[in-house]
Amino acid sequence: MKFNIVGYLIGEGFKNTFKNKKSTFSAMLVMCISMLIFGLFFIIGENINHIMQTVENAQAMQVFINLDATDEDIQKLEEELKTIEGISKIEFLSKEDGFADYKEKYGDRSYLIDSYEEFIPDSYIINFTDLKLSGQVLEQVKKLDNVKEITSANEVMDKLVKVTNGIRMVTLLILAGLVIGAIFIIANTIKLTVYARRKEISIMKYVGATNSFIRWPFIVEGMLIGIISACISILIVGGLYRLATNGLLSSATIQNLGITFVSFADMFNMIIIVYLILGIGIGVLGSSMSMRKYLEV
Amino acid sequence: MIEFRNVSKTYSTGTEAVHCANFKINKGDFAFLVGASGSGKSTLIKLILKEEEPTSGNIIINGKDTTFLKKSRVPYLRRSMGVVFQDFRLLPDKTVYENVAFAMYIVRATPRHIRRQVPMVLSLVGLSGKAKMYPNELSGGEQQRVALARALVNNPSMLIADEPTGNLDPETAWDIMTLLDDINKRGTTVVVATHAKDIVDKMKKRVIQIDKGIIIRDSEKGGYNSEV
Ligand SMILES: Nc1ncnc2c1ncn2[C@@H]1O[C@H](COP(=O)(O)OP(=O)(O)OP(=O)(O)O)[C@@H](O)[C@H]1O
Ligand SMILES: [Mg+2]
Repeated sequence: MKFNIVGYLIGEGFKNTFKNKKSTFSAMLVMCISMLIFGLFFIIGENINHIMQTVENAQAMQVFINLDATDEDIQKLEEELKTIEGISKIEFLSKEDGFADYKEKYGDRSYLIDSYEEFIPDSYIINFTDLKLSGQVLEQVKKLDNVKEITSANEVMDKLVKVTNGIRMVTLLILAGLVIGAIFIIANTIKLTVYARRKEISIMKYVGATNSFIRWPFIVEGMLIGIISACISILIVGGLYRLATNGLLSSATIQNLGITFVSFADMFNMIIIVYLILGIGIGVLGSSMSMRKYLEV
Repeated sequence: MIEFRNVSKTYSTGTEAVHCANFKINKGDFAFLVGASGSGKSTLIKLILKEEEPTSGNIIINGKDTTFLKKSRVPYLRRSMGVVFQDFRLLPDKTVYENVAFAMYIVRATPRHIRRQVPMVLSLVGLSGKAKMYPNELSGGEQQRVALARALVNNPSMLIADEPTGNLDPETAWDIMTLLDDINKRGTTVVVATHAKDIVDKMKKRVIQIDKGIIIRDSEKGGYNSEV
């Protein structure tokens, strides 16, 4: 028996964790599943976001021309665009046609934008020869005179944005549900330990132990379950992710589309932080909940 | 040291376990609490330990009225009292030494202090040779001695015992009571709730008798049933 307070409290927490193997295991299982589901949605969201950015730059873009540009200016711009490497097609869209496009998009409510007609500029729609060159083309186009703004002309984008937002919402909802569920399961697990040690707790109370002193080992237990689950989950998520992306990247379609995936290292920080906060938070909350009853001696 | 002023206790079930109790136990006293089963002895002890709150009245301990004592201060109040019970309440997976040291740990004693103090109390209760044994390797009397060592190890000013000899044969019971008397002679206030008529008669200590929650007798050097 070591006589060091911090060592004692942490040691007891460790002992508790490994004494109740079954319930500790099931708590960890639930924690891991929760974390994995969260990880899955998070990763999908991040990747759609990433792919969207690639596609956005990739497929096509609309280059708006300054409203005060003269016809010569516009002509000059087209000549300049033609000299840029990586552009396959340049198409002029007059302000009238552009406005008509917008009216169509707004459908029934097109009257809303009637008064904006004079603010819609002429534009060029540019397609790329190679999707990978899009970024570099964008940089060059930006530098040209009379370029007001560059945006994506791709309607798929709007849908993707909606999908990503949807996924984010779902991720948050799942997260909330899982957090609540996991708290209760941890609370239950620790309740078992507390129950198994109720005699010890009551002796501690009689000898004059403060509640915080009694509580610590159980909080350590909850935290430990959380931290271990977080570590296991991050390993699984990382491993699976690498497997999945390697598999996908070797497929011809994905290669042709020029799609890349977010590297796991870029998401690692975010995921591990969320996991640890979840794990520790849930552990502490769960154990505090389970202790209440037994501290009333 | 311990003073009850018009203390009544009615449990949430409606049972009035203590009715208007008044008594005062001074520093260095030795007092028996006697009465039939269900008369309210354990309730009195729980009130002293502030394990139960009185329904009315005031309990003054070490000169302080504990009526309005904050919950968070209760552990510190308990550190001034050692407690033993009929069922010993030892931790089965800890040795004798650890069971006693445990109580010092909890009050955050220094390792050095623990190493010095534990062997001292173990020798006081006559268990020097058994420090490394586990509770299930000891007789009932020896287990109660461990419990006593644990209760005394933090030098409490009073020792509260609820039927400490209830599970022991008469001879062992007598040994334990003599030990309590020794402890009292060293300056610790001792309060013992008990059914052990013979011992109470023999020891000629102060006796507080309770019947159906009412204190019906409080006599110096009394016997179990009446004045001696
Ligand atoms: N927690 C409780 N809730 C409700 N009633 C209780 C509680 N504890 C004790 N009582 C009742 O209070 C009365 C006094 O009980 P208490 O335990 O104080 O008696 P006692 O003198 O210690 O008896 P014994 O000699 O058998 O230990 C009894 O009628 C008992 O049923
Ligand atoms: Mg009793």
